[in-house]
Amino acid sequence: MTVTKPHILLLGEIRHAKAEWEALSDVATLSVCDSANREQFIKDLKGKYSDVVAVYRTFNSVAITGRFDAELLKEFSPSFKYICHNGAGYDQIDVVPCTEQGVHISNCPSTVDDATADVNMFLILGALRNFNEAMVNLRKGNWNVGVPLSNDPDGKVLGILGMGGIGRALKKRAEAFGMTVQYYNRNELSSELAAGAKYVPFDELLATSDVLSLNLPLNPKTRHIINKEAFDKMKDGIVIVNTARGAVMDEAALVDALASGKVKNVGLDVFEAEPKIHPGLVSNEKVILLPHMGTLTYETQKKMEIQVLDNIRAALTTGKLNTIVPEQAGLQ
Amino acid sequence: MTKPHVLLLGEIVHAKAEWEALSEVATLSVCDSSTKEEFIRDLAGKYSDVMAVYHCHMKDAKPGAIINKELIDALPPSLKFICHNGAGYDMVDVNACAKKGIIVSNTPGTVSDATADVGMFLILGALREFYPAMTSLRKGKWNMGAPISRDPEGKVLGILGMGGIGSAIKRRAEGFDMITQYHNPEPLSDELAAGAKYVSFDELLATSDVISLNLPLNAQTRHIINKDAFAKMKDGVVIVNTARGAIIDEQALVDALESRKVRCAGLDVFEAEPQIHPGLVANEKVILLPHVGTRTYETQKKMEIQVINNVRSAVTEAKLLNVVPEHISLVH
Repeated sequence: MTVTKPHILLLGEIRHAKAEWEALSDVATLSVCDSANREQFIKDLKGKYSDVVAVYRTFNSVAITGRFDAELLKEFSPSFKYICHNGAGYDQIDVVPCTEQGVHISNCPSTVDDATADVNMFLILGALRNFNEAMVNLRKGNWNVGVPLSNDPDGKVLGILGMGGIGRALKKRAEAFGMTVQYYNRNELSSELAAGAKYVPFDELLATSDVLSLNLPLNPKTRHIINKEAFDKMKDGIVIVNTARGAVMDEAALVDALASGKVKNVGLDVFEAEPKIHPGLVSNEKVILLPHMGTLTYETQKKMEIQVLDNIRAALTTGKLNTIVPEQAGLQ
Repeated sequence: MTKPHVLLLGEIVHAKAEWEALSEVATLSVCDSSTKEEFIRDLAGKYSDVMAVYHCHMKDAKPGAIINKELIDALPPSLKFICHNGAGYDMVDVNACAKKGIIVSNTPGTVSDATADVGMFLILGALREFYPAMTSLRKGKWNMGAPISRDPEGKVLGILGMGGIGSAIKRRAEGFDMITQYHNPEPLSDELAAGAKYVSFDELLATSDVISLNLPLNAQTRHIINKDAFAKMKDGVVIVNTARGAIIDEQALVDALESRKVRCAGLDVFEAEPQIHPGLVANEKVILLPHVGTRTYETQKKMEIQVINNVRSAVTEAKLLNVVPEHISLVH
């Protein structure tokens, strides 16, 4: 009797690690999802995808399947065990129903750190130095006439909200520009990981940072953690940078804080309802905005794809994921 | 005994108190000549006993903005020191000054951090091709115009002219895991090189992934980056210039971008600024700033104070603190 190989399903696209994907066929049967939308996907989960054991999903595949919420998860058969997500942020997946159903999730920590921290540092510089206004002025043919003086990062206090892998990679970069780093995490880091960054309570981070960088995951506890009350606690003229998830910050409250001058400038790579952006931001020539470019490089995209594929291989051959999400760490 | 006479050519914006404090050791005048002819008359009249000049950037049309041979010939015999506000002093004819026994100082050191911050912003912006992403977003097209690009990590940064600014860029680039090599007229001491590899000019061109121009503009360096230089570079090289525009043959750069020899460029300076080659303005990929190198409150103040300190030293000790390299042999 031949043992059939487990069935794995690709949701979305693999662009760089195609060879590594094909190589999985030594341990699995590979399918590429061709469902046109969520409704069709649910039908296919009862049909051709009913024996799927593991899924490789991308951030963009949410456009087809919708969020991985309780409603979708219950359509998977009991054989379904692993969601291997391409990305550090996995807020498109509801972890609690997955855990209840015995479905384990992996994400992509560490491979994302450098590229995201690079975007983060670019935005810190751009916001402190008012570079967007300068660039726009130049392209309009006005050179630097009317462009006001700005501020150096040297000697400023950078407050990192959520100093995980990306936050620590950011610290290393910020220190090269002469910034002093402090951070708030749910739990203080070891002195080795903190590497000299000062641990402060959340309110002190808000009140004493010249630049605030948001580097925490989005979940029900952190949604709108930066809201009107938080802005009120900050220094006048603070600079804020967000490369995490748009919804950790109340975008309308941010627009108000910019208008009042409480926030001197912002650098954003993510937005609450992306690709829609609050019009008060799009029309503001001082702020520096990127369309979620965090990890969009050949080198990093390939590393991430391989990290997902390695998680799938590990799950199928050892029963354990390499990088299971923190909320499920105790399950393996 | 009358105090020595010091003349301000230009404006002091931030260090007014420090300028006024000079009146304890000197008589201070602010140049109010409105034309070149009037200035030359005043140099034989009310400014005929001036000993030291504080000189800063002004619009080209203002008298004294460009200290050329014609103006130097008209300077009074009492004038021994020109203290320039700026690291680059190509608008002062140092050879003509030397012939007349006038020593010139500039502002090295104080400019390094702010200029290196611009340099690193442009390196990131050019490697990651952030500019088309930003414009795509502002046009309402989100990331449709945003190309997948390259990480700085592991790339070779070639610094042409590793002085104070170049060394400051090296320190920042190392925060992004770039590897630095450099070419100077002579190799630096091990201490100053701080681990950067010394290479010949041709090797710098041929082996660098990113080339940063950080050398002064003079007769030897004008158009040092020309068609022949581009031909020696790697395909897909990234070029960044925060030094002086005329170091690059701007037409040759436009051609090299067109042929994709140069994948992207980040520029803060231009050959005929504020005029910019239309081929650059029309290029959607390049990231351009209008000579904002040191335009922060903190750095502008530090520079003004450095010039004032040079003036004070000239007046009280008959020597300058930051003699330009071309004049060092004259003062020993």
